[in-house]
This record gives sequence, C-alpha cells and structure tokens, in this order.
Amino acid sequence: MMEQDIKIETLIVMSVAIFAVLATVAFLVPFEDSNTKLFFIALVTVLTAINVVGLFMVWQSSPTIVDEVFLMTPTGMLLKHYTRRLRPDQDTDIMAGMLTAVQNFVRDSFDEAGGRLNEIRFENYDILISHTKNVVLAAIISTKKPEKLRVELKNANDDIEKAFGERLSHWSGDKSELGDVDVLMKKLLSGKYRK
Amino acid sequence: MRNWMELKEILKKVVLLGDGGVGKTSLIARYVVNKFDDKYIATIGTKVSKKDIQVVRPDLIINLKLMIWDILGQKEYSKIRTSSMSGAQGLILVGDLSRPETVRSLEDFWLKEVKLSVGNIPTVIVGNKVDLLKKESMEAATLEAMGERLGYPTLLCSAKTGRNVEEIFSTLGEMLLEGVVSTAKTRKEKAPQTLAEVVDFIVQDFCAQYGDLEKAMLIVQHQFEEAGVDIRKPSKDAVLRALDGLAKAEELTLTKSVARVNLEERQRMVILSKG
Repeated sequence: MMEQDIKIETLIVMSVAIFAVLATVAFLVPFEDSNTKLFFIALVTVLTAINVVGLFMVWQSSPTIVDEVFLMTPTGMLLKHYTRRLRPDQDTDIMAGMLTAVQNFVRDSFDEAGGRLNEIRFENYDILISHTKNVVLAAIISTKKPEKLRVELKNANDDIEKAFGERLSHWSGDKSELGDVDVLMKKLLSGKYRK
Repeated sequence: MRNWMELKEILKKVVLLGDGGVGKTSLIARYVVNKFDDKYIATIGTKVSKKDIQVVRPDLIINLKLMIWDILGQKEYSKIRTSSMSGAQGLILVGDLSRPETVRSLEDFWLKEVKLSVGNIPTVIVGNKVDLLKKESMEAATLEAMGERLGYPTLLCSAKTGRNVEEIFSTLGEMLLEGVVSTAKTRKEKAPQTLAEVVDFIVQDFCAQYGDLEKAMLIVQHQFEEAGVDIRKPSKDAVLRALDGLAKAEELTLTKSVARVNLEERQRMVILSKG
C-alpha cells in the first residue's frame, strides 16, 4: 500500500510535480487577461499547498505497526517479549540471543570504532534496535516507517535505562528481581511515546 | 512460617568453549532446544541454544534456563569470541580425549581467555569422546588432575553414546544456583502486620508465583473488582472473597494442592492482620 511505503521525501517530490504540471498548464493556456492568469496561478499554489498538508497529515496520522518487541540485555538475555502474532515454532530466548550474536558479528566485522547495529531490513520487515548501557530494545515492524518508531524506541529505552539500568548492570538472572518494567513497555506499546 | 513452594525463573548465560572439532556442537545437539542450524557457528561465529532445567528444593522450585552460546573453536577469531563471551555466567570447557593437544589447550589457552574476558565463573571441564578411549588412558588422568588442581568438576563423556552429557548441565546448573534461596528466606520472613500490608504481600506473592506479571495483575484487578476490594481501604471480608478467585486462577496455572495451601495461608494472614 502507498500509505505504508510513503516517506516525507516522496511527499515533497509528488507535490512539486503536481505544482510543476499545473504551473506549466497555467503558462501554456492562452488566458484572456493577466488577472485571470494570476487568479489561476494563485489557485494552483493554494491547491498544491492543501495537497502537501493533506498528504503530510495522512502520513503522520497512520501509525507504525509494531509486530514484536524484544527487551534484552546487551549480552543477549531476554527480559521481556511482546508480540501481536502467535509463533509457536519460535523460541524467543534463542531469538534474542541470536539477534545479539548477529549484532556482535556485524559490529566486530565492519566497525573498528565500536559502533552499534541500529537497523536490519529483510523484505517486508524492519528490525529497529535501540541501545543504552544496560538495555537493548528491538522492535520488528512490517509497515516500513521506521523513522517514526526510532524516536519512540529511544525515549522508551532511555526511561527503562533510568529506572532499571543500575539493577540490570549486576542482574543475577532472577526475573523476580527485575521489577515492574511492564509499565514502561505498555507506555511504548500503546503509543504514549508518540509525539 | 510459609509452607508453600515458591517458583523462580532464572536465566543464565553459559559459554561452550574448546578447540575446533572436539565435539562441542555434537555434545549439546541432542540435549538442548536447537532452533538454528549449526552452519551459523561457521558464518557468524556463534549459535545460541537453550537447556531448561528444573531444580526442586524444600521451599523452592527453580526453572533454570541455560542459554548456551556455542562459540567457534578456531583460536584466531578472538574478537567475535570476546563479544560472545560478554556477560557469561557459566562455562563448559570441552577437550577431545583422543587428541591430547586439545586437552592441554583448555588450561593453556581457553581458560586464560575466559578469565581475561569475564573473570572467574562457575566452570565444568569436559573430556569428550570417552567412547574412543583405551582403558587407563593418560588423557583422562591429565584432565581429571587439571580439574582437581583448578577446583572445577570434571566429567568424561561421549556425545555419541550420551554418557554423562546430561550431568554436564545439571552439575553446572547446581553451581550456578548456589546461594539462590527463596524470597521468603531473603526477607527473613518478617510477617506483614496491617491488612493493607497483607494485601500488598499477597498481590506480590501471587504475581511471583504466577510468573507472567502482566496477566497476574489483570487477574488480581479482576478478582478485587469482583469481590469489591477497595485497595485504599480494604475490608477483611472483601479480601477473603478475592482470595477464593485468586485460588481458582492458581488451580489452572499451578496445581490444586499448591493453590489450596496458598489459599489457606493467605486466609490465615488476612484473619490475623490488624485493621
């Protein structure tokens, strides 16, 4: 769907193209007087502006659909997993570990400066990854609008780090020691980090 | 004071190390949850598997999840190996009893590398391919002497026959759970006094035993609403009604007997509380 693929750059290109076509028409059509011509050009400008604003609002209002979220430690231990889909064949602990292993591999193979892998794209899926010192949040989305979710993930991750980072830095692996991280995760999943 | 079982879920990261070809991957293949092909070890240097172990103690049931990171045994790839070892809480060192050099490198190379990366962690030393060994083999004796000197349990096993393989995980599991006691013991069992404190304690206890905090809180909320519990000013009658609902939920997730013991203990606490 177009709505799913649309990016802000696409909107600008489309609007400029519409304006160009209408403006060309305005100059080519033999108007009877200059006032009529000016009126037509003004009309074209207003219509184009409405078009830009309208498309932008459609783009902004359609939410990014998150399929799965993994809350992990940087060492690959799964703390929480949230999903919209039932995948009985999937072991989420192993998935979290392998996701971390892939990140380690990419970082160690390609980046000498110790950077981090922030995104993995595969056909219709994007995996967005947000890192802080003690927390990693990975979201799998299928709506191709990662730019909107990236900020939400980062804000949620910063809050989780602030609330649980210290505890996680010396976490023994006992899940009952984690505390109620669900409150912040629910805030993320219900779109409350959306600006 | 408490006489019911507490459930704990504990996650531990374990790394499996040793020279290439000693049988690390074969050792775990039949005994763990494998979701990814072994080719990932050659391609990204690591493969993660899982082994679930249940440990039952007098007042505690521990569901231990060992996340096993099987790491490429070629010594040259130290960078990727170090990343994969990060945060490891347990170590299984594997040598091939039919290849003496792989046994020697456990102490000379692998153990040194682990100590540099993650320090001293619970470790089990494993001599694999014991089925190929002749009687009174020098390698087995060398390995056992090494384990004794270093203070680590040593197991001779065979991935082919399955001998002692389960014991590797149970031995390491026990080492990783040393010092884990029930929350009740940790808190020195100070009994809550007021009804509000008792309610808070029951909610926490129900959630801890239920496992899934989100679902547990929904059940608590529902049962409290049904029973008419005002969380700011609870009455004993309402809380006692809510306890019946919680017990029914526990019958479905735990066992009937555990749910009954929990119910009786909680009823006693509510009745004895002040307020």
